[in-house]
Amino acid sequence: MSRTRTALLRTAVVTGAAGALAMTAVGPAAAETEVAEPTTFSSAFTAMATPDMVINNDGAATPGQPGASGTFTYRINSDTEVICYDISLTGVTPPYQSPAKTATHIHQGDAGQAGPPRIAFPNPEDDGTGRLVSSGCLQGPFTTGVVADGTDTGAGFTLDQIEADPSAFFTDTHTSAYAAGAVRGQLTAIPVGGVETGAGGAAATGSQDGSTGTVVGVVGGAALLAGAGAVALRRRALQQ
Amino acid sequence: MSPRGLRPLVVAVGAVLAVAGCAGTTGPAAAPPASTASSTPSPSASPSPSPSPVAPTSSLDPASVPEPTGVRIPALGVDQDLIGLGVAADGTADVPADFGDVAWFTPGGRPGARGPTVLMGHVDSTAGPAVFYELRDLTPGDTVELTVADGSVATYTVTGTEQVAKDTFPTAAVFGATSADVLRLITCTGAFDAGARSYTDNLVVSAVRSG
Repeated sequence: MSRTRTALLRTAVVTGAAGALAMTAVGPAAAETEVAEPTTFSSAFTAMATPDMVINNDGAATPGQPGASGTFTYRINSDTEVICYDISLTGVTPPYQSPAKTATHIHQGDAGQAGPPRIAFPNPEDDGTGRLVSSGCLQGPFTTGVVADGTDTGAGFTLDQIEADPSAFFTDTHTSAYAAGAVRGQLTAIPVGGVETGAGGAAATGSQDGSTGTVVGVVGGAALLAGAGAVALRRRALQQ
Repeated sequence: MSPRGLRPLVVAVGAVLAVAGCAGTTGPAAAPPASTASSTPSPSASPSPSPSPVAPTSSLDPASVPEPTGVRIPALGVDQDLIGLGVAADGTADVPADFGDVAWFTPGGRPGARGPTVLMGHVDSTAGPAVFYELRDLTPGDTVELTVADGSVATYTVTGTEQVAKDTFPTAAVFGATSADVLRLITCTGAFDAGARSYTDNLVVSAVRSG
């Protein structure tokens, strides 16, 4: 299924955003092909990563760095195998350390379980304020540098597997002091794009209360009858 | 507390009218006006009355604490039960079908756990202003109260408002997990695209737990 969103203004705006991302991309291309931000996404996920969630490779709880936390937010276009990452850590002390290509990963594993890395992201670096950040977009196929049974743990992995069951994936970062993970969190779904919280027409259809200062634009054509209709109409543009 | 302290009171009158007008066409959107006439502080004592409170932090799993069930915004005369919504099949945020409803994003944060707790409401319908029509009038220092399923009330203090383009929506900044107990209220704003029947921008009001 292709999710071609058709919006007139988007191209110009996103081109600017992609340029900004390219300039702020952190460090060398330590992992997959670094690409510009796509114009559309099929899904998004976030994780609140904390030290108490860390599990070592033997499946035992192994607390990470006390007081540390991390927000990991991912936006996915599973049609083109692009994942954009926005990672921010506080209280994590580098150096990073991992047998993988980088020390910042998405692993496949349920809460409380260990699991192999599937994607390796550039490690967060100090943005000048003491916060460690990493953001950009990677395009698969993915490799992690970790080989199990003769195969890279990223081989065969595709982003639609995260979309199918985000809770079966976790994200973390590893440091030399906390090799099992300084912080870790399970992925949860969040929305992609803006929020459709207005159908317009307050001015054009004659609002009864005479409100002033409205930001509502003029509505042309026949008014929709119900809110559900307005939502459905908008969504049609997001699908197929 | 805000430099424009009188403004919310003026707005409240208009908001009550707007919600009442909406209620006439889209269903129950009751807003008890009696409780909105004065800018009463939260019923629970606020430990940090400063206009720039620092939100407490938590790494609690939101599923381990009670759900929010209602929202009250004294400055706007909003007093609504919450409906729970998640991610729609196309990946976007599900939004209320009823323009008088306020939704909370159920896979996100909750009061007392990690944030953000996200509320979404329509700015208008084709029939006129909807439940979050006056959201843009909230100013830093205004309070938003969430009733929680255990009967307690979590008070949040507004820290700022941002207008963001939907086409470059800052997903990580708005929906990304936070250790701080923060609240975000979202509606539409900006220019209206009549063809798509959609606004170009979102309005995002941020607030932090203050009581």
